Amino acid sequence: MIVLNQVSKVFNKGRQNEFVSLREISIMIPRQQVTVLKGPSGSGKTTLLSIIGGMSRPTSGRVTLDGRETTSLPERFLAALRRETFGFIFQQFNLINGISILENVMLPAVPNGERHATLKGRALELLAMFGLEARAATRVELLSGGEMQRVAIARALINNPRVIIADEPTAHLDSKLSGELITIMERLKQEGRTIIMASHDPLVCNAGVVDNLVEIRDGEIRDSAPAQ
Amino acid sequence: MTLRASTIFATYTALGLLLLAVIVIDSSSRSVTDRQQLEERRTLVKSLSLTDLVLFTDARYTRHPSMADRHTPFQDYPLSLEHFPSGSLIPPPPHVRSYGKY
Amino acid sequence: MANIEKQRAIIDFTLASLMRRKGKNAALLVVYTLVVAALASVMFLTKSIRSEAAAVLVDAPELVVQRMVAGRHEMIPLSYVEKIASIRGVKSVRGRLWGYYYDPVFGSNYTLLVPQESPPEEGKVAVGQGVARSALAEVDNIMPFRTNQGALFTLTVARVLPAGTELVSSDLVLLSAGDFKTLFGIPDGMATDLVAEVSNLSEIPTIAAKIARLLPDTRPIARDEILRTYDAIFNWRSGILLAILSGALLAFFIFAWDKATGLSAEERREIGILKAIGWDVGDVLMMKLWEGAALSLTAFVTGVILAWLHVFAGGAALFVPVLKGWSVLYPAFRLTPSIDLMQLAVLFFLTVIPYTVATIVPCWRAATAAPDSVMRG
Repeated sequence: MIVLNQVSKVFNKGRQNEFVSLREISIMIPRQQVTVLKGPSGSGKTTLLSIIGGMSRPTSGRVTLDGRETTSLPERFLAALRRETFGFIFQQFNLINGISILENVMLPAVPNGERHATLKGRALELLAMFGLEARAATRVELLSGGEMQRVAIARALINNPRVIIADEPTAHLDSKLSGELITIMERLKQEGRTIIMASHDPLVCNAGVVDNLVEIRDGEIRDSAPAQ
Repeated sequence: MTLRASTIFATYTALGLLLLAVIVIDSSSRSVTDRQQLEERRTLVKSLSLTDLVLFTDARYTRHPSMADRHTPFQDYPLSLEHFPSGSLIPPPPHVRSYGKY
Repeated sequence: MANIEKQRAIIDFTLASLMRRKGKNAALLVVYTLVVAALASVMFLTKSIRSEAAAVLVDAPELVVQRMVAGRHEMIPLSYVEKIASIRGVKSVRGRLWGYYYDPVFGSNYTLLVPQESPPEEGKVAVGQGVARSALAEVDNIMPFRTNQGALFTLTVARVLPAGTELVSSDLVLLSAGDFKTLFGIPDGMATDLVAEVSNLSEIPTIAAKIARLLPDTRPIARDEILRTYDAIFNWRSGILLAILSGALLAFFIFAWDKATGLSAEERREIGILKAIGWDVGDVLMMKLWEGAALSLTAFVTGVILAWLHVFAGGAALFVPVLKGWSVLYPAFRLTPSIDLMQLAVLFFLTVIPYTVATIVPCWRAATAAPDSVMRG
């Protein structure tokens, strides 16, 4: 369970272009459920995901993960947390161009120092799950949008994380592929993972798999309720 | 089976460093042929009273630098500038550069 | 063990990353290697010639006495022999006959020398390998000379000096004293210079000073001065080599500068991605370190080996045009490998450290920044 307590995020604090992205957000994200942060662009969803996933620190407030506070963790531990506990799927995919999809999938596990053969095997299995193992050696930029999305998900799963965080996962997908994504999320939930997604796509927000819907606007929570 | 990039790199570097070690060790020990040739040269130096190695044969002071004095590079006339390319490779010997000798 | 696996995995990614710009990085590697090879070649050549001189000239004459007239090296009268022999501590003195002969047919300079021990018969010469090559002379061939009066003077090649002695004998033409004097028109009673032996080597400076006082038109040269002449050879301060060194340093500087002038937006983004997916600062910097080290280490190792092959297996062939200068006659460089470890170590640090540091430093800020900027699309 992830708990945010009075979390605020201010950019360029004290300067001319000071911008308050999040205002004293307090939220509880239950484990092994699908929580969707719903809101228009500029509402602070991305910043919130970023703080939940340990990619930035709040200006004030506390974040705890299963009772352990993460806000004041040293960078090294935070990085380890990002690596082992969280799996990110970015809106822009953020894959590394010029290298193969297999190498991309293996990347988050590199600092672990695992045996290469084991890691490679696991990466190939993941690609197989998404039907991409035949193209394992292909350079990532040669894939279609939907394929890249799946590689991004595979990469997020390589370290078997407890929590999956996805930012606008259907932004670059058509309805069919969006539907496939929801199916993948269902499967991941069945595997016992916690899923947090940010989206303003009704396909995602109204999907049956969603357990909790949190509405965010202008950096504040408007409404937080279990999904219908 | 394709080799990992790190394997290729590690192997190449290891072999290279090994080769370097061999080169370094080899240079500090002289082989029999080397010793023989060295002896030949030493003997000739002694019997012919030689004073210099044959490195350049274009000018007197580059052929016998140890025998050169301050004037030989400017042999033709006082303002004749140094014009042999090999002269820029071998500087005047220390005993020519030092002052107040004898 | 896990650390080795981790380093290998990082290296795999680093190399894959470098391969993305295959052409540029290959060119960089080639140029870097060649610069290292050039520097190392000069180092090897210098060291081995110096070692050679030190090893071979130990038996050079203990004292050489030259006569100077109006700033020029002139023949020395043999009457000086007695005067020098009378100095206490001098064991023996004798005149040396040697000089230069320019062969207009081939454009080469020979050093003519009359050996003290077993000189050739009248009419016969012994020649060095360089002479044999340059004048196309073999045993029993006739070599034509012109005396200083312009008359034709032929000598027959009796033997060619062994190839192994080329470094000291390549341009030598050994002949009898009579032939030498006839050829150059030297009167009896004169010699090119004098060589002296002393009973006690430590007395040489004293004796030299005495000779200079006794015979003010002479200039004594001691054996250790002869040896030290070669300490300065191919010194980095001498003309052409200074140019090479400057060029190499400029090259290193340019490579490092190229790396050090900050990260491109693409590189910054990629570091952000790595941080976001779970690499910490140490991992990112390690990757950058390998990026710099892989290239510079490979360039160093390859360059030094190429240099060794060039100088010791290839007779410094690429330097020959420079070394030759205007010489027509040129010894074949069969050098005994000799390496100055200190200089090699300096070359190593110069090659690897600045470039690697220049690769890491610009990433510092990007590597330590929080990865949330990546999320911002």
